[in-house]
Amino acid sequence: MNNFLKITGYTIRDQMRHKSFYVLLGLSILFVLMIRGCYSGQYAVNGKQLNNITVAWHVSKIVFQVIASGMSLIVILLSMKIFSRDHEDGSLVLFLSRPLFRRQYILGRIAGTWFLCLAFMFILHATIFLTVWVKTGAAIPGYLTASLVCSINLLFIAVSVSFLSLYLPDFISAVFTVGILFVGYISDGGHQILNSEILKTAVSSAAASPPALWRILYPKVYMVQAYADSIIGQSSFNNMGPLHPILNVSFFIILITTLMLFVFNKKEI
Amino acid sequence: MIALNSVIKKFGTITAVDNITCRIEKGEYFALLGPNGAGKTTVVRMLLDFIKPTSGSILIDGIPVSNPEARKRVGYLAEHHMIPSHLSGHEYLRRHASLIGLAGKDALMEVDRLLEEVSMKGREKEKSAAYSKGMKQRIGLAATLLGKPKLLILDEPVTGLDPIGIRDVRKILESLRDNGVTVFLNSHLLSEVEKTCHTLAMMNNGKILVKDSIRSIIDADETLEDVFIKYIQKGK
Repeated sequence: MNNFLKITGYTIRDQMRHKSFYVLLGLSILFVLMIRGCYSGQYAVNGKQLNNITVAWHVSKIVFQVIASGMSLIVILLSMKIFSRDHEDGSLVLFLSRPLFRRQYILGRIAGTWFLCLAFMFILHATIFLTVWVKTGAAIPGYLTASLVCSINLLFIAVSVSFLSLYLPDFISAVFTVGILFVGYISDGGHQILNSEILKTAVSSAAASPPALWRILYPKVYMVQAYADSIIGQSSFNNMGPLHPILNVSFFIILITTLMLFVFNKKEI
Repeated sequence: MIALNSVIKKFGTITAVDNITCRIEKGEYFALLGPNGAGKTTVVRMLLDFIKPTSGSILIDGIPVSNPEARKRVGYLAEHHMIPSHLSGHEYLRRHASLIGLAGKDALMEVDRLLEEVSMKGREKEKSAAYSKGMKQRIGLAATLLGKPKLLILDEPVTGLDPIGIRDVRKILESLRDNGVTVFLNSHLLSEVEKTCHTLAMMNNGKILVKDSIRSIIDADETLEDVFIKYIQKGK
């Protein structure tokens, strides 16, 4: 078997042996169990009974975003220690004293962490999807596709944290990545609100100015989530700039991975 | 088997390895001696491509060490051998076996044979967090011997071992002598070097002061310790 696949497999097994993984898994299951109750209630607005399917659809959309954002934090926690832990516990020597390329080690470690988080997120999203189906009898189209779309964000985050952890202490690299995501959420979230139909209807003079170049080029993590949301809602997607957010994030993934391979190849062990 | 050609390694302004050229032939049991900070570990790390030389080239079996192919039949034991605490000795060895292409029954048989050889049979399923320093070193030695390597790079292999462990390591190394295995030993234990190796090189301040067979370096009325001190003081 290819060394890359072997290391990917080891990474999945190693990550699943850490207590923190089970704490996060437990919290996620608890969250999903709590959400379950939202689909059983009777909701009324101004004395008018709301359709159960409509409520389930709106709740599921919100939960989708909560899970996707929560997974971003989980992937940060799992990625930030990949290299320092390997250095401390001898895994790095284990792998690199054997006939494999450093790139196989790096890519295997990242792919393993990403795959684990992707599967984790997909299972949580699928649980919500199935809960809605069982409780209301309606399947939300595009829900699982949207989950896979969001997984590209997890890869971006895993790559960014890992790359930064080659230079910075683990915690700082995690905080730095949260900062990158936060700026994107504020910037792109603001843009989405300014261009929303509600605001345009409410304030007829609210004409959003074209975004600055840095905002077009900035990693579009939030916009990928917004795009996933549009898949669930089967609504139009208000893109910022000429480049689709998936292409934007993919470009950053390739760029950072290339830089990381270059830096790690020269790194002294 | 190993060729170091005009190798220089600088860390900033400090020259850790200063233009060394050295050749170690197939089947040779070679020891690299020197005081702390002489540059021995830097040489070992360069042999494994953990660090790159500033200039010069290092070849194993004619292949540059930057090519992973050069490490295909190389076993490496670090001074303070570490095993990920969540792995058992058995899992650790299976992982090593897999990375060198051993799989299935062959891997299991080889792992069992080596566990027996390093006297760790019966403890192999325990998590390595429960192992003593010496036990980790024994598992490390077993990992080094996996896949019948042609070259062993041993960095202070008997560190942490009790006298029985030290004797076991010596026995294992002696048993490999007939198989044409080359041994590169980095050690402070001069008595062990004397018992195990044919040739040695003494290093100080990044330079090789002497490289020859042990017999020709030591005079009849001298010990290796006397020779070591003589060369190091002369080198200063």
